[in-house]
Amino acid sequence: MSFLELKNVCAGYGALKVLNNVSLRVDPGEIVVLIGPNGAGKTTVLKSVFKLVDVYSGKICFQEKDVRALHTHDLIQLGMSLVPQGRQVFGSLTVRENLEMGAYLTQDNDVVQERIASTLLQFPELKPKMKDYAFALSGGQQQMLAMGRALMQDPKLLLLDEPSLGLAPKMMQTVLNRIKKINEQGTSVLMVEQNARQAVKLADRIYVLEDGKVALHGGKDILSRKEIQHIYLGGR
Amino acid sequence: MSSILAQLLLNGLIAGAIYALVAAGFSLICSVMKFMHFAHGGVVAAGAYFLFMFSQWFSPVPAILLALVTTVLFGVFMDWSVYKQLRKRHASNAVLLIASIGLMILTTNLILIGFGADVKTIPLAQHNPVYTILGARITLIQVVIIATSALLFGLLYYLMKCTRLGKALRAVADNNAIAQTVGINPSRMYLATFILGSALGGIAGMLIGLEQNLYPSMGLSLVIKGFTGAVIGGVTSVHGSILGALVLGMVENLGIWYLPSGYKDAIAFVLLFVFLLLKPEGILGKRFERG
Repeated sequence: MSFLELKNVCAGYGALKVLNNVSLRVDPGEIVVLIGPNGAGKTTVLKSVFKLVDVYSGKICFQEKDVRALHTHDLIQLGMSLVPQGRQVFGSLTVRENLEMGAYLTQDNDVVQERIASTLLQFPELKPKMKDYAFALSGGQQQMLAMGRALMQDPKLLLLDEPSLGLAPKMMQTVLNRIKKINEQGTSVLMVEQNARQAVKLADRIYVLEDGKVALHGGKDILSRKEIQHIYLGGR
Repeated sequence: MSSILAQLLLNGLIAGAIYALVAAGFSLICSVMKFMHFAHGGVVAAGAYFLFMFSQWFSPVPAILLALVTTVLFGVFMDWSVYKQLRKRHASNAVLLIASIGLMILTTNLILIGFGADVKTIPLAQHNPVYTILGARITLIQVVIIATSALLFGLLYYLMKCTRLGKALRAVADNNAIAQTVGINPSRMYLATFILGSALGGIAGMLIGLEQNLYPSMGLSLVIKGFTGAVIGGVTSVHGSILGALVLGMVENLGIWYLPSGYKDAIAFVLLFVFLLLKPEGILGKRFERG
């Protein structure tokens, strides 16, 4: 039984079709990584799951339920969370307010405060910064905050868009370790990564995207396959 | 001499309080919607004229409440009938700006058709005692203007900083795309923005209507003052705009100590150009670097 399943999904932005018959799945407890060259449609896969782009055809099922007709806020309530690309935080809100907004759909303030406490256990570096405006955080801290905000809904499936983008190597490692830890606590992960070598270490399964299609699919050994060089470097 | 100074300061505070009410609604809408809603002036004028209309038929309290509700509906209708339709077509901010100027002109002309070109006076303000503070004269209505503004700014601050709605509005203003990823529905926030902004504008219009005469193009000159105040304080910062509008009211009124009173508007425009040229982000407006 798969947790998240995309079947022949075509999606894009208005008249611009980006994904062409993409099929993939995430099983419970897995970390699945999407890699591929720039413009392959990796981000669009996450956005199509989260209803942030137009899905023209195909099927998207989450926990055996067809979710194509649902809105983003319904998906969040079903247990999905997205960490968008590029350390996106609400710069003019404080760190605490950012976390509170992560639990926007949770009406009960006690629950929100409990979740803040448990999120701070995962990201202790945010604790002394709670009253600071998010724009004043370092890049690494902003990525932690963006991830912490996504955890505020207590998701079953975390969608991560290039969490290591633009981070220093040491911070990149820290972020990837945190993702591993979040996964070990029972959250399934679907992650887009530009840094294929690092991401593959973390992954249970890997999909390689090329021109809006799944070109390859496999386990950790995928980077040693010959086809991958053609996909990344061209000239087949 | 000191009583003249006290009077000018007091006049500045009264003018500033009114400009600040206009500016607060204008900049709230601007920060969330990301365009200049110049037709906010039309909403302000509508507030004054609706109060004029309802006060012919009802006693003060129901007249004020009815005028407020109608003005809010008018503002929301502007958004629904024009801006929302343009947003659906992915119109640029420049198109929305032009539409807002069109709406401003349309509102002025609707008032002209409905009420005529002659000045009107709201009959509620017949009994208006005068008090003296430090040699400066202030009327009861002016006291009401200052007190109402102060109360509304306090409420607005509480709403934006302490409530779930206010934080969500700030989140949408900060980054609409990310706000959607946490489940905030932008359409609902746009509606809330127009309700709040138009309520502030309507109250501003009613207070002005009690203090001064009503004329069809009153909204345009008021929204220009509100806009100037917002630019001085920082268009996307609601409390910055309030501060800027208070500064504008003060400067205008202190300026006429030296200059003939006809230069009041000129002072406002000079201040507007100075800020646009030298400090376009305003006193409190921030420029965020995005990584």
